[in-house]
Order: sequence, then C-alpha cells, then structure tokens
Amino acid sequence: MSTNAGSTSAVRVRGLRRTYGQGASAFEAVRGVDLDVRAGSITALLGTNGAGKTSTLEVLEGLAPATAGEVRVLGLDPVEGRAAIRPRVGVLLQRSGFSGDLTVRETLRLWSETLTRPRPVDEMLALLDLEHRAGVHMTALSGGETRRVDLACTLMGSPELVILDEPTTGLDPESRRAVWRLVSGLRDEGATVLLTTHYLEEAETLADRLEILHAGQIVRSGTPAEIAQGHPSTIEFARVDGVPEQLAGARRILHDHGRTTVETDALQRSLTDLLDWAARHDVALDGLEARSPSLESVFLSIADGGDPVEPVAAEGAVR
Amino acid sequence: MTDRISLRRTLGLARWNAVLLTRNRLAAVYAVVLPLLPLLLLLAGDRGAEATGAGAVVTMFLVTALFPVYYNVLAQFVNRRDELVLKRMRTGEVRDAELVASIALPGVLCALVLTALAVPIAAALGQSLPVNPLLYAVTAVLAVVMFTAFAYWTAAWTRSAEAAQLTSMPIIVLASLGPLASSMPEMSERLRDALSLTPGAAMADLVRIGWFGLDGPGADQATLSFAETWGQAGQPLAVMAVWAWIAITLARRSMRWEPRG
Repeated sequence: MSTNAGSTSAVRVRGLRRTYGQGASAFEAVRGVDLDVRAGSITALLGTNGAGKTSTLEVLEGLAPATAGEVRVLGLDPVEGRAAIRPRVGVLLQRSGFSGDLTVRETLRLWSETLTRPRPVDEMLALLDLEHRAGVHMTALSGGETRRVDLACTLMGSPELVILDEPTTGLDPESRRAVWRLVSGLRDEGATVLLTTHYLEEAETLADRLEILHAGQIVRSGTPAEIAQGHPSTIEFARVDGVPEQLAGARRILHDHGRTTVETDALQRSLTDLLDWAARHDVALDGLEARSPSLESVFLSIADGGDPVEPVAAEGAVR
Repeated sequence: MTDRISLRRTLGLARWNAVLLTRNRLAAVYAVVLPLLPLLLLLAGDRGAEATGAGAVVTMFLVTALFPVYYNVLAQFVNRRDELVLKRMRTGEVRDAELVASIALPGVLCALVLTALAVPIAAALGQSLPVNPLLYAVTAVLAVVMFTAFAYWTAAWTRSAEAAQLTSMPIIVLASLGPLASSMPEMSERLRDALSLTPGAAMADLVRIGWFGLDGPGADQATLSFAETWGQAGQPLAVMAVWAWIAITLARRSMRWEPRG
C-alpha cells in the first residue's frame, strides 16, 4: 500500500458501488464513488435526498458491505479492520435510538463503558449543554436534545475521524449554530470530519471541501469557490421581450414563469450592456436581480438535472 | 488492539439490560415471578411424591425457558432493533457477539438462579434432592442455550415487539408439547416416541431422570441410581443438543440488526 501522497487521507474510496436487492428489483444507490477526505479537514458530502449519501457512509462506517470498490478508513478496511478502527472513529447516524427508560446520564454512562478511552460523562454533558437534563429520561427529551445526546456519544471516545450523517437536520437554528461551532472545534483540535448535509449554508460555512453527490455519483468536488467557478452568473427581471441576444458576455436568455433570466460569464459587462439597452429603449426592468454564481445555483441545477457544466468525472484522477 | 470479545463490555451492557428489565414492571414479573408459580403445585397432591415433584419442576422448567429466556430475549432484542438502539450501538466499539450475549444474559441468569432455587424450595416442601445434580445443571444450561438461540432466530422474522406475541407461538407450542403429553399416561407408543424428539419433551425427560431418577414416562417411583441416570439421559441429551445446534445455526444465518425498511 502506498502512502506517498503529500497529504494523508483519513478516508479513501475508489469505485464504490452499493446495490440493494437482487435481480430485476435491484437498485444501485451508489454508482462508482471516488472520495478522499484529507486528514484534519472538514469535508461535506452534499446531495438531495436519495443521492446516496447515507448509503455511502454506511459502508465507511462498516455497517454495510460495499458491492464493489475499495474503501480505506484510517488506512484499514472498515469491516476487516473493525476492531482497530472503532476506537478511533465517532459516528453519528442520520437516525438512531436510545432506550427510553434510561436517563441522559445513564445513557452516556452506558456508552462510556463501551469505549477504550472515554472522556468523562460530566465533561460531555457540559460540552453539549445537557447538564440541566442529566436526570431526565430519554423519552422526555425533545428531538434536539436527543440529537445532542447522540452527538455526545459520537464524540465521547475522542475520535480522530468523525462521520456525521445530517448532524443538524431537525435542529432549531440556535442548536444548529452550536453544532457548527462544535464541528469547527473538532477540526481545530486536529480531527477529521466527514459530514453529509442538504443545507448549503452549512456546507459553505463549515466545509473545507465539498463533494456533491447526485444519483449515486460524485458530480462535482472542490472548495465552494471552485465549485461555483465555470457556472454562469444570472441576471433576472420581470419578463421583457426583445432583449438583444448578443448582450455582452451572455450565454443565453431564458423566458420562464413571467421572468427573464440572462445567464452570463461576465456579470458586470452583461449588466452594463443590459442597463444601457434598457435606458436607450426606455424599458423598465422590474424586480431586477443580479447574482454571482453561488453554491446554491450549482446545486439546484445539478438537482434539476440541468447542470450546464459537464460533470468533472476526471477530476479525481487529475487531482 | 484486540479482536477478541470483551468480557468487561459484555457484563457492563448486561447490567444495563438488567436495569432496563427491572424498569419494565410487566417484563420483570414475567421473568421472575411467573416461573416460580408452578412450584405451588408441590403443595397439591401427595407431599413428597416423586410424580408430584416431577410435574411441578418440569412445568417450572418450561415456564422458565419460555418467559425469562425465550420470550424476554425475543422481545428485548426486537424492541432494541425497532428503536434503532442496536444500530447505534453497532457504530461503536461493541461487537455483535457482545450485544447478543448482553441482551440474553439477564434472562439467562434469572433462569439459572430460578432452576437452582427450585432445589431448596422443593426440598423444603418434602421433595428429595436431585439424584444427579450435575445432569440437572447440564439440563438447565442446555435449555437456556437452546431457547436463547430460538429467541434470536424468531427475532429474525419478527417485525415488531407486538408481532412477537404471534411469532413466538410456534416455538411455545413446540416446547410445550412434550411436558403436556407427559401428563397424559394413555398414549400410543409411537406418538410418545415421536414427541420425545421435541425439545420440550427432551427437557422434561432430563428433569425426570436427573432429579427424580424416574425410569421412563410412566414411572412414578425413583428407581435410577446416579450412574444409571447417565445411561438413561443419553437420548434426551442428544435430542436437546441437536435442537440447540439447529437453533444456533438458524439464528446465526438470519440475524438482522435493523428494522425492515
């Protein structure tokens, strides 16, 4: 096995496939995913529901076998190397459960007894702001509180690698920001984080690197800026006919739902040209909006299947 | 960095499972009180008669195998699986075998203590002590292993804790056939031979032989010596061992850790 890469990968995936069922009803949820999570970074796996995020993570977590492909977590196979990997990895499932008849403190004590190097229960209660709920039965907790207990378990073993499947789904905005601070803190302490989310804001705020998963494949990877690059800026206004097609820098002009959208590679030039044309012809551009390419627009166009930029399938090889 | 099963983790988890069992009143009553009730049969009939003793202890064995062990383990496992507790645990350092063992342990321990307690209770009520205590203990251990495995096998095709009330019926009936038949003296030889191959009948035979030294289904007087009990125990021991092996094989093959989507 070669470890000559300049930056070490905490997670390395090549050609991962995962198929559910057999025969005619078989469904391939993961269709050849390549993924590298650099040690000490936060990587966000972004995708709509059903894109294959959880199916991918379950293989990394060692909970499900890969149908095909190679997976290395901390340099080991997640199934064969289970005993060696588990003490070094913390996992937060998208959905999980606890025995309702135990209190928060008891739940954390139970979990800590299963760990090689547990952090003290009281420390975890404080870290996740659960001290005042320590004596409460799990059944009496709110969804957000249960999620925090879950996170306390994930982090209790001081993991080097943290895998979080939609850590903030269902949380109120305040709790969400608290989780963001916690996750950033993990990286600052040297841990590696791989998380999935369908919140773009979350990915943009937290992640050093994004991997956009769509229909079981990674269709785009990079920093948020890199991903938006090559994607057109847009100018929108209430529908006006007769906008000149040869507007400076414009790629194309669309008329849809009573709005006109200009896609452009040169936002400032196109906008100047457009305003100039409008002034000359005395045209009012109602509801005028001009937007640089954002992660959101990239993401939405991928989710719609109308991604104007070719998927950079080769990027993994070039990198 | 050991790949072995951790006794510390298993016992720790078993203790929490015991705590959970005590917090569920109904489950606790089923596990502890119910199995002791058959011993009340010792108060009926001739005080100290082997036939009375055998009837009471065989019934106690059956109830112990079915409630603290079989039904309890089945319900606990299915419940934890439904609630995704098992899935959560499996992301951590706990090994699958440790989860399996720790869920079974409280019921298993309860059953072993009850079968041991039956000896002084029966003695106090006029019964003689077991002729072959070792055989009696082996019977208890085999029964516990077999019914634990049956519980995990049943869990594989049980959708929910409620459904367990139904899915547990085949094993409960299979286990009860033998002990029920033993209370019917008039029965054709062939039917009795066939029934003796069921797990419950083998368990009942072993109790009758090991504790009471009863020779054959119709016997009501202790005639077997310690040495003779081993000879008589051969077939029922083999029957129980085969059932235990079948149950373990089925359970291992069909283990399911997550609720069906």
